[in-house]
Amino acid sequence: MKIRANLLIGGILFATVVVAGLLAPLLAHTDPVMDANLMYAEEPPGAEFWFGTDAQGRDIYSRVLHGARISLTVGIVSQLINTIIGVCLGLSAGYWGGWWDDFVSGLTNLMLAIPSLIFALAIMAILNPGLTSLLIALGLTNWSFTCRLARASTLSLKSQGYVQAAKVLGYSDIRIMLTQLLPNMLGPIIVIGTLGMGGAVLAEASLSFLGLGIRPPYPSWGSMLSDARDQITTAPWISIFPGLAIFVTVLGLNLLGDGLRDILDPQSRTRRI
Amino acid sequence: MAAFLLRRLLQTVPILLAVALIIFILFSVIPGTFASSMSDDGRSVIDVQVMERMNKEFGFNDPVYVRFGKYVAQLVQLDLGTSFRTRQPVTKVLAERMWPTLLLTFASMLFSIVVGVPLGFIAALRPGSWVDTVSMVGAVSGLSLPKFWLGLLMMYLFALVLGWLPSFGYGDGSLRYLVLPSIALGVAPMALLARTTRAAVLEIMNADFVRTARAKGMSERKVVQWHLTRNALVIVLTTIGLQFGTVIGQAVVIEKLFSWPGLGSLLVDSVTLRDIPVVQGAILLIVLSFLVINTLVDVLCALIDPRIKYT
Amino acid sequence: MLKRLLITTAIALAIGGVAEAQTPRKGGTIRFTAPYGSSFANLDIHTSNRAQDEIWAKAIHRSLYNWDAAAGKPVLELAKSVEASGDGLTYTFKLRDDAYFHNGRKLSADDIIWTYNHLMDGGKAYPGARYVRMIKGAVDVEKGQAKTISGLRKIDDNTFEMTLTERIDPGFYFWTATTSIYPAGESQNEAFASNPIGLGPYKLAEYVPGSRLVAERWDKFYNTGKPYADKVAIMIMGEASARDVAFRNKEIDASILGPAQYVAYKNDPELSKGLLEVAEVYTRVMGMNPEFKPFADKRVRQAINYAIDADLIIKRLVKDKAYRATSWLPPTSPGFDKSVKPYPYDPEKAKKLLAEAGYPNGFEFEWTATSNESWGIPIAEAVIPMLEKVGIKAKIKPVEGSVLSEVVRKGEYQAFLWSLSTGPDPQAALKCFHSKTPQTACNYTLFKNEEVDKLLDEAGSTNDATKKVENLTKVNNIVFDEAPYWFFNYNKAVMAHQPWLKGLQPNATELAIQNFEEMWVDESSPAAK
Repeated sequence: MKIRANLLIGGILFATVVVAGLLAPLLAHTDPVMDANLMYAEEPPGAEFWFGTDAQGRDIYSRVLHGARISLTVGIVSQLINTIIGVCLGLSAGYWGGWWDDFVSGLTNLMLAIPSLIFALAIMAILNPGLTSLLIALGLTNWSFTCRLARASTLSLKSQGYVQAAKVLGYSDIRIMLTQLLPNMLGPIIVIGTLGMGGAVLAEASLSFLGLGIRPPYPSWGSMLSDARDQITTAPWISIFPGLAIFVTVLGLNLLGDGLRDILDPQSRTRRI
Repeated sequence: MAAFLLRRLLQTVPILLAVALIIFILFSVIPGTFASSMSDDGRSVIDVQVMERMNKEFGFNDPVYVRFGKYVAQLVQLDLGTSFRTRQPVTKVLAERMWPTLLLTFASMLFSIVVGVPLGFIAALRPGSWVDTVSMVGAVSGLSLPKFWLGLLMMYLFALVLGWLPSFGYGDGSLRYLVLPSIALGVAPMALLARTTRAAVLEIMNADFVRTARAKGMSERKVVQWHLTRNALVIVLTTIGLQFGTVIGQAVVIEKLFSWPGLGSLLVDSVTLRDIPVVQGAILLIVLSFLVINTLVDVLCALIDPRIKYT
Repeated sequence: MLKRLLITTAIALAIGGVAEAQTPRKGGTIRFTAPYGSSFANLDIHTSNRAQDEIWAKAIHRSLYNWDAAAGKPVLELAKSVEASGDGLTYTFKLRDDAYFHNGRKLSADDIIWTYNHLMDGGKAYPGARYVRMIKGAVDVEKGQAKTISGLRKIDDNTFEMTLTERIDPGFYFWTATTSIYPAGESQNEAFASNPIGLGPYKLAEYVPGSRLVAERWDKFYNTGKPYADKVAIMIMGEASARDVAFRNKEIDASILGPAQYVAYKNDPELSKGLLEVAEVYTRVMGMNPEFKPFADKRVRQAINYAIDADLIIKRLVKDKAYRATSWLPPTSPGFDKSVKPYPYDPEKAKKLLAEAGYPNGFEFEWTATSNESWGIPIAEAVIPMLEKVGIKAKIKPVEGSVLSEVVRKGEYQAFLWSLSTGPDPQAALKCFHSKTPQTACNYTLFKNEEVDKLLDEAGSTNDATKKVENLTKVNNIVFDEAPYWFFNYNKAVMAHQPWLKGLQPNATELAIQNFEEMWVDESSPAAK
């Protein structure tokens, strides 16, 4: 019962955000960057501006919609980079073992030891703030969990019958890794992926707070939230709507991840209590 | 056990060196220097001769590899160099700021454990019930808010509106000042711990040896107490250890917001002002603490569960 | 606008005046804030020229001169009198005989001479060297060719002579905290770094790095009867939103406001009573690099000034927390010409000028800016649509503060947005436009104009004060016409203070820097004991 609720609610929330992002150009009322009219600065929500306007006179509703694209891009792309790096390193380390495994394990420990936010901060400072830099920074600093997971799964799957059979049949290592091992560990990796996406969106907000987030012309939720923190008493709607958007997205991703874990994890399948 | 500890100790050294190298390289390519940061508010002009003297004083006239070599030589003697900004030894600068961060980190971890673990337990003992749903959704919500926003809202509510707590700073070191920052910081790990505990407990409850114990007629209560606690504890402890690194990283945001004089805000300031020795020193210190905590956690786990053996 | 400015300044002075009229109360703690970052550099003020550090330095240290906020000029602080020689290059100072360092030692000419020599120490880089270099022989010490500055001569314990290399007013050079006088020979001690000894009204009691600095009354301060308050507690709070909460919660006595809070406080019946507003000596500008082809043409630069509706931005975005800029020098400066009108908002004229210059369809440029809310990316964001209307496309290049400072000085930019200090000394401010001033110093836009050079050289060599001001005014006007910058606004600094805090000074050089001995708290303060 509960398991379905997870998946359902999470799925709906996430899907809403995706649809909003995809259809942003159609659903938005104005151009999120250029349509700034200082005459309408800091208007409360009303008939014309559904979510009100910000300090520059831009329609917050349109910016939140377009911001969905940015945040989803940040979440999906950076997590994709994380996953690819993590899986490549973890799979190969678990499969081949030896000095490669030692090296990858050492590297993973290293990455786990450096707080990812601080590492991302340093990278953003070097690359100059921007969307691409953010994707690189987040993509390079969060792959350790995926790597550990891939490695652990590989180690336990390596000894399975069908893998041994493939070896005997003369399949190449790469082929075995891609066709036999990878599909069987996708479950937990997808789970970590969804949870990581949520983390990436939050990390973007934190980096904006520290002054190194995404800057204009992209309307990112994180920078919208961070820029509006001084106006929290005078014009709270400027921070409420992007904040809500972040909340809904990350909540949806987390619930989705939980739900996926509940179905995909073989042990818990028996747990239909 | 002794061999394990020794190996861990030895592993620490190359990790620290690698971190030092990475940070060193990162910061030698970063644009902007300490000298230029001194005039970033447009208030006064940094003149050329002063800048040249600064470069000489900080050793920037040497090539990169020479500087790194000197740095490593200093590291071996446990000397972290001199801060550009304060002109004091980095060890002194770090020592002044370490205690507040440790305090904050431990307080938030304490909060997350004290609230999160029981929450996870309760949810797991009645899976699928409304108690389970509510606590898990609540927990997940805690993970879905940017920390500085949560902190700001809490500051507004508890300090200004309700007037229960002071809104900022370290104060006289009394506990009142610690409450808001540690809760703001601790909400996310609390949520994670709650979910991890729930998953761990559920997994173990259905494991073979528990069913065996039940079949043998052991009372429900004893089952819970004996097997569950020990096994769940191992998983929970490991998560705590891993969370520690995340919490230290996130502390940066909270420290800046609450004017908490810790390592985190020192680190951010030093990055902004390009005070490289302090950045390097602070990161090394953080990494070292993380490694130490995780080793402690591993040792604790081994003590709790004798089946865990480290070779 | 100017009338508004004059009224505001008058009110600010009046507030200061009214405050003085009440009898200052002795005792209590002043709970001040340092809003420009989350830490102080260290306790050696010679090493830092940041406004943030000068805030605490004013409690513990003193320099030869001090800034008189009411008069708007530097006045003697550690000296009783000064005499200038006929050629205007040698100044003889008679020190006060009632100044004691916090360790009980009396101030003597040796301390001043030692301090200035110390600042020129070639091994360490002290920002104050820039000022001391004006003394004859200082450069030799810096280069290591001399042990002491030849231009500083001790006549007796209370008198010394300073010979300068140029005709400048020493008051403008020796009032900042980076030239604070230290007791001779003491700063070499380890202890000095954590326990600075100075001549200020308070001595150090407690320092928690990253959190606060507390200083307690120095009984032997030379201004008898002052300081009034027993203690000064300076809280380091860089976050405006956190300061807002703390101020409303009455945990702090004073807070520098940003534009958003300015609006909120102005509209609040209680909070609006405690606002101190001052026109500061900072000009916010967009610099244009003449090495980027379109900006080499004066018509393009003027077009940009016509194309931007600065008043609207000031009103709507900056929430009236600024004054429209009508030149390089701020209105409080002697060289400011009230008769000059600002560039009006005229996009049609802008388009015409652009067409004349050969850019009928506009052009594109890259705009380097930091994330500062008052003179950074938010301003650029507001300007971009306006420039778009006349065909100019601007793309923002976000950078950190230290990077901005570096690339502007190296000329690695097309356009930048910054807040630059344009006072209090008009001569120093306008010197930036002399063609001999390098880009690394402050001639960021490689300005070159023969007339300006001539006028500046004359002003530098004359002793006639009126001629000086005349020349400087002419230079200021030429610069405004040549438009090497888009002139945006002058900063209006606003400090909110609790009703029980009195004696704040309208310091136009930097409102957050206050002489603590003039302030006191009355009984209604929670920290009145």
